[in-house]
Amino acid sequence: MALLERSAWYDLARSTEWTPSYISEDELFPPEMSGGEGIPAEVWSTYDEPYKVTYREYVDVQRQKDEGAYSVKAALERADLYNNADPGWVSILKEHYAAVALVEYGASFQEARYVRWSKAPGMRNMATFGMLDEMRHGQIQLYFPHEYVSKDRQFDWSHQMMWSNNWVALGARHFFDDMLMTRGAAETSISANFAFETGFTNLQFIGLSGDAANAGDFTFSKLIQSIQSDEARHAQLGTPLLQMMIENGQKAKAQNLIDIAFWRSYRLFTILSGIPMDYYVPLEVRESSFKEFMEEWIVTQFMKSIEDLGLSKPWYWDIFLRDLDEHHHGQHLGTYSWRPTLWWNPAAGVSPEERDWLEEKYPGWNDTFGKVWDVMIDNFVSGRPEKTVPGTLPMICNVSQLPIVGTPGRSLKDTSIVFEGRKYHFASEVDKWIFEQDPERYKHHKNLIDRFLGGEIQPANLDGVLEYMGLGVVSPGGDDAHDYAWLEAYKTALAPAG
Amino acid sequence: MALFPISSKFDGDFVLKLVPVDTDDTMAAVAAAAAEHSVGVHVPDQPGKVIRARAEGAADPYPLDMKLSETGLGPTDTVEFYFE
Repeated sequence: MALLERSAWYDLARSTEWTPSYISEDELFPPEMSGGEGIPAEVWSTYDEPYKVTYREYVDVQRQKDEGAYSVKAALERADLYNNADPGWVSILKEHYAAVALVEYGASFQEARYVRWSKAPGMRNMATFGMLDEMRHGQIQLYFPHEYVSKDRQFDWSHQMMWSNNWVALGARHFFDDMLMTRGAAETSISANFAFETGFTNLQFIGLSGDAANAGDFTFSKLIQSIQSDEARHAQLGTPLLQMMIENGQKAKAQNLIDIAFWRSYRLFTILSGIPMDYYVPLEVRESSFKEFMEEWIVTQFMKSIEDLGLSKPWYWDIFLRDLDEHHHGQHLGTYSWRPTLWWNPAAGVSPEERDWLEEKYPGWNDTFGKVWDVMIDNFVSGRPEKTVPGTLPMICNVSQLPIVGTPGRSLKDTSIVFEGRKYHFASEVDKWIFEQDPERYKHHKNLIDRFLGGEIQPANLDGVLEYMGLGVVSPGGDDAHDYAWLEAYKTALAPAG
Repeated sequence: MALFPISSKFDGDFVLKLVPVDTDDTMAAVAAAAAEHSVGVHVPDQPGKVIRARAEGAADPYPLDMKLSETGLGPTDTVEFYFE
């Protein structure tokens, strides 16, 4: 039987709607699930998705993508990447799979909520494919690391992390619950699809795929390309919604959603991308610094897309630009110092050559963050390894759930408020501002320190904290990725004369 | 006498740290407790110098013999520590 051309039926099929008569519009699309309050009923049917695809076309293309990724994996398994890759790269894989795989599965629920609750028929149609995308991403990113579990138990975190109380999991869940799972469909498409995916994951995956190829990991490179090609499509879900909101007098609301989501996404990416790009990727294959990457892809390109829509840069733009020089360096010092709390082995990334690179990319690094590393290096070289792991916990931000860090001697500060008798600490003015936008949303959550001081973690010492986080339970915690080989240059330099 | 958590912002350090102290501690003892987690860990020692404590953003330090319970600090308030 001959098939009609897509163009002959698509518009009719995707805009097919029904008019409820037995229940009210609000019962069919409850405002708390659908969102988009104040947008007139007739506007929803004008949602025009920028990317059009039929189910038949979708399945065919997805099958080809899967074939490509799985066949590259099968072909390269004998190359034994695990034993041949730089340990810093293996750590990136561990961090990535654990932080991403189950979040992708969660994102299929995010898209499924659009399929049911979005008031725009075109969005419901497009989200059906987004939902299937995210299921594929969850499955493929669990299947690929499974190969490594028998070689290294830390890869088990790919499946375990999001169910654990590891501090990164607390931060990731807080972020993704806020961005993906707990707002109306209309608002979520702006926070998650427009700000988080268009602004960050889609672009970050392009960079990550290149890093993988440079590091010789063509399996991961192909996997990430395969995912990114889906991401580039379903990330566009939010843009028509954003336009509808702006055209219907809700520009301020749209700007507010983007301002919140952009900062929260950026801060999470300092851990997921900032640290790996500037410290874990082997120096010889490093192409650009995290700051350069952010400036090229986020500052220039994403901001252009915001301004094209008539929106403005977030109010904290100057703070953000300064932060690109600082925050991830502090988080790297923190994750390396508290390495027993990680499920991956962090690369220090501070050999003399790497410090030259850091100083070139971030002038002044040696005089600030470098001085802290000097103390740690002295402890390693002088036989005091026990002094390189702090005996207490860092203070944690009540929004980002990340340690409160800053440039030594310059920007480290506490930003706190008392709300309804409880004290909240924040890692920046922006995190505090986010809390103040909707205290009811955030006030009940307890960060790691709240739990520790509240007696939820027993025994109340570092061992108890590690067990609470799943270290020594799921797998051993982290240790130096290169088994401290990078210290040899310092041992030579600091050796007594003669 | 009660266990009391403070947030330590030690000059030269890169991160705020949770430090358990006691309400009966003098500020000299509080400073010593904070130093244990920063000096020689993330901040170089400055032998011979005294470590002082002040409320975050304050100009003057607390007297060394002042008790923590007399400072008006609340649990998890941030205290700045620095070599004098």
